[in-house]
Amino acid sequence: MIKKMINKSASKSPWLFHINTGSCNGCDIEIVACLTPRYDAERFGFKLAGSPRHADILVVSGPITVQSRDRLIRTIEQTPDPKCVVSVGSCPKSGNVFKGSYGIDGPLDKYVHVDVSVAGCTPKPEAIMEGLYKAAQILEKKREAMSK
Amino acid sequence: MIILQYLFYILIFPGALFTIAAGLLLAGIDRKVIAHMQKRIGPPVAQPVYDFFKLLGKETIIPATANRAAYLIAPVVSFVSLCIVMLFIPILGFRAIGGAADMIVILYLITIPGAALIVGGAASGSPFAGIGISREMVTMMAYELPLVIILLTVAKKVGGDMLIFDLGIVSAYQAQAGSLITEWSMIPAAVAMLLVIPAEIGTQPFDVAEAENEICEGPLVEYSGSPLALFKLSINMKMIIMTGLFTALFFGGIRTGFVITDLIVFVLISTAVMLVCITTTHAITARLKIEHLFKFYWTVVAGLALVSAVLVWIGL
Amino acid sequence: MIQHFPVLAVMSLFLGAFLVEIFGTKREAVRNAITFVTFTLVLILLYALIKPVILEGRVISYWMGNWEPVAGYAIGIGYEVDALGLVFAIIAITAFWLSNLYSFGYMKGEHHLGHFYTLFMMLCGSIIGFCMTGDLFNMYIMVEIMTFSAVALTGFNTDKDGALEAALKYLVICSVGSGFILTGIALIYLQCHTLNIAQLATMLAGRLTPTTLMSFGLIVAGFGVKSFMVPFHTPLADAHAVAPSPISMVLSGVVTKAGVYGMIRCIYILFRAMDLTQMQILITTFGTVTMFLGVSMALKQHDFKRLLAFHSISQVGYILLAVGLGTTLGLTGGIFHAANHMLFKGLLFLAAGAVLHQTGGITDLDRLGGLSKKMPHTTICFLVGAAAISGIPPFNGFASKWLIYQAAYTKAIESGNFYYLIVTIAALTVSVMTLASFVKITQAVFFGQLSEANKDVTEAPKVMLVPMYIISALCLITGVGYKFFASYFVLPAVNSAVNVTNYIDVMMGDGYAAAAGVSNMAADNVMISSWSPVVYLILFVTVLAAACIVILASSGDRGRVVEVTDKDALKHSNFFSGEEPVYSHVSGSDMLWGYKHNFKAYYNIMDKIHTGRMTDYCSMVVIAAAVIIVFMFMFMR
Repeated sequence: MIKKMINKSASKSPWLFHINTGSCNGCDIEIVACLTPRYDAERFGFKLAGSPRHADILVVSGPITVQSRDRLIRTIEQTPDPKCVVSVGSCPKSGNVFKGSYGIDGPLDKYVHVDVSVAGCTPKPEAIMEGLYKAAQILEKKREAMSK
Repeated sequence: MIILQYLFYILIFPGALFTIAAGLLLAGIDRKVIAHMQKRIGPPVAQPVYDFFKLLGKETIIPATANRAAYLIAPVVSFVSLCIVMLFIPILGFRAIGGAADMIVILYLITIPGAALIVGGAASGSPFAGIGISREMVTMMAYELPLVIILLTVAKKVGGDMLIFDLGIVSAYQAQAGSLITEWSMIPAAVAMLLVIPAEIGTQPFDVAEAENEICEGPLVEYSGSPLALFKLSINMKMIIMTGLFTALFFGGIRTGFVITDLIVFVLISTAVMLVCITTTHAITARLKIEHLFKFYWTVVAGLALVSAVLVWIGL
Repeated sequence: MIQHFPVLAVMSLFLGAFLVEIFGTKREAVRNAITFVTFTLVLILLYALIKPVILEGRVISYWMGNWEPVAGYAIGIGYEVDALGLVFAIIAITAFWLSNLYSFGYMKGEHHLGHFYTLFMMLCGSIIGFCMTGDLFNMYIMVEIMTFSAVALTGFNTDKDGALEAALKYLVICSVGSGFILTGIALIYLQCHTLNIAQLATMLAGRLTPTTLMSFGLIVAGFGVKSFMVPFHTPLADAHAVAPSPISMVLSGVVTKAGVYGMIRCIYILFRAMDLTQMQILITTFGTVTMFLGVSMALKQHDFKRLLAFHSISQVGYILLAVGLGTTLGLTGGIFHAANHMLFKGLLFLAAGAVLHQTGGITDLDRLGGLSKKMPHTTICFLVGAAAISGIPPFNGFASKWLIYQAAYTKAIESGNFYYLIVTIAALTVSVMTLASFVKITQAVFFGQLSEANKDVTEAPKVMLVPMYIISALCLITGVGYKFFASYFVLPAVNSAVNVTNYIDVMMGDGYAAAAGVSNMAADNVMISSWSPVVYLILFVTVLAAACIVILASSGDRGRVVEVTDKDALKHSNFFSGEEPVYSHVSGSDMLWGYKHNFKAYYNIMDKIHTGRMTDYCSMVVIAAAVIIVFMFMFMR
């Protein structure tokens, strides 16, 4: 019964940790917009966590600059399983307008399996919300796979 | 039979299970009401339960710098010691175990979870945790002074010329003479107590120790999985214990005659107290700095409590 | 048979001191054997006295050379052991026995160890003699031996920075104190022509002439210096910082208690002045100031042993406060706290000594850190000591502090004096400040990150760990069974301090006290406490067992625990906002900032007062003594 409850809770209380890997701040303010009263991500249990050790979903925005690459990898490693990686915006997916720059070492899926990718420059809060919700569902599946 | 009865007391009704359930309920209500105050829909009331179970399902990563034993034992000590405190607090007329601990002892018993949090945080070896425990300790020092004065004031008010530290007697006195909140000389102390509760639990504006966007949740920074779940649960349990203590001290005169209705009234009053002192302050304030927090408690709050102490001392 | 035990105990220690000096200067085994056998012998002798003296309430008297009183006048030197003296003697010998065991490991390889143990045994002998003597001048002599051996032991590591300076400070301040005591005794002798405490008690009680009042003031100030209460506390911090750790343990656990014992003996028995409200206010004020100043100075220290030294001052403040209340409950709390303080402060000093010994002499809180992984046993012992001194239930510190709070609050209610309520609040607040400074040490020394310099530190040797574990166990046992200890160990001592007639009659012959018109103080032995550690422990174990069952039963369902297999794995590295973890230890000076900031003005004043100059400190001592005497002349005549 405890196992069932744990598995069920996995999708109901996803805590976010937000990593900015050289983003222009456009996606970041849209992520913050999700938490505002208008969109209220907290009704699904989303909450910003202060440390990756507490997080379930890592929200990555930005085109992975060379400087941020090691930090990104380390932070993802520090997050306990089960975890999901969500890329927000076009930058982590493709590099966007920064593609080909000497300072960019993307895309994100070179380093880690991306569970949900929200495209757009910048994506709308509704899109981000949907992406996060999908990630929460994936989280539950991962937890079920882990507990077997 | 008597053993089974006490096991029921310890593990189920005023003890562990009730404290957990009531704590989670209060935490859920708290989050829901804050959301509504901010014109949000907010999470379901059961959200703290989901949070707890989700954390149980996560991995527990032991940091390389941590002292494994202290890191894993501290949350258990914090949780267990909080389960017991509720047994000593009278639930209006009902009291499971009387005479084993009184107000001053309870004051010390509720420092144990704080000390456990500090030891656990320190054991994780993170500098964020180091700063966090430093702040946690200063917060503890800050609210302890007014809390001490409040408890001694209540003792004097109830006892008169006798030494009364026992919460059961405090409760019985109020049943006869009316709740202490109705005495105007006790109102400053009650206000001071309302200000002590959020610092004890560590909610805004007094959450300097666990400032999540400044020092990454302070002592908890390296915690993950089940130990983190126990610490978060301890914080929720503190809510019912502190508001319950307030109820016992200032609303102890209310009696309904049945344990069940007593219990419901107790939880309702505790919820109301929580809505005033935790939820409202959380919703309308921003975080203080640690030095301002300390100053606030040792001047304003301690001053309020002292006003009550003087008033009670001269017999008002 | 049994009446020879006290004098045998003192003599065997002094004899042992000579034997060590003669036979033990070269060979370690001989030296250790002599000290261990002597201390164990004395331990047995004194513990054998527990049954007749403490449990049965007998008072044992012994006249040196059989010089018994002639015509009601005591001429010879008499030993008189009542429960009060024996309790303090037992505190002393327990501390010395454990400290001696510890020093076998700690002092190994030092030079001149023969002299060390000689002084060590003389210190012990003098304190036990001090607690058991019934003669005022003999008391003074023992105080002098105690002071001088303590001074020599403080400066024992002469090659250490500041050792000689600290010893000199200690010597000067304590000599001034001894001077006070000697002058006081001389004045009493001038007035009464006798030095026997029992006989003096019949002459002085309630008859405070200007001469005796002067001597009373001098003796209180003198024993105040010996117990290091606040204006006299200055040499202690330096002394503890440089003294070897076993010496620190006995300095704080026993030598300061000797001052407290002298104070109790003089105020309660010799002058019987504890009924006077002014006397109570005087002593409690000194106690409260000592308590607060000690702990607030401790919060600011960044040297491990200095910090502990200021806590000794603070805890002596607790004891003085309790003793000064003048009630039996207060005295119970005070004496119990004295015994407990010996245990937990001894434990803390031993833990500090283990750290210092293993790290090669580092006591700076800013240079230590993360030692819990290297020294797990020391850490456990330290945490027990820290919990005990900060008054965390169910350890012994809480039990005795709890009695003290009750005593102070009862006093406040009974006397209707708001001052005592402030005292109670101060006592409760100081307790949490104590916790704060131990949190500081815990983080700065044992937890946090290990510095590169301390990478090869190992656990302390077994001979040092054994005394630490013994004391840890005692801390828990006395805390859980505090009612037992308070009623069978401390309460007899309290009763003997209050029932003077028995003390006088045993020494001077039956009916002597009644003839002189001395009556007992009213003893109101009320233990009003609803704190039952046993119930608490049962509850704790029950809930813990239930929690463990749930934790184990659900272990398959919960997330797994990822053990550290590779230290450098990214997964286990500390969260540093994503950066690569670097050595970044939150050390002692970084802690408790919000508090220090608000107390800046106070600390500026304190820094001005603690100049470190001996002349300033001496004048502080003299001024404080003058204040005590003036206070007595103004309010107690």
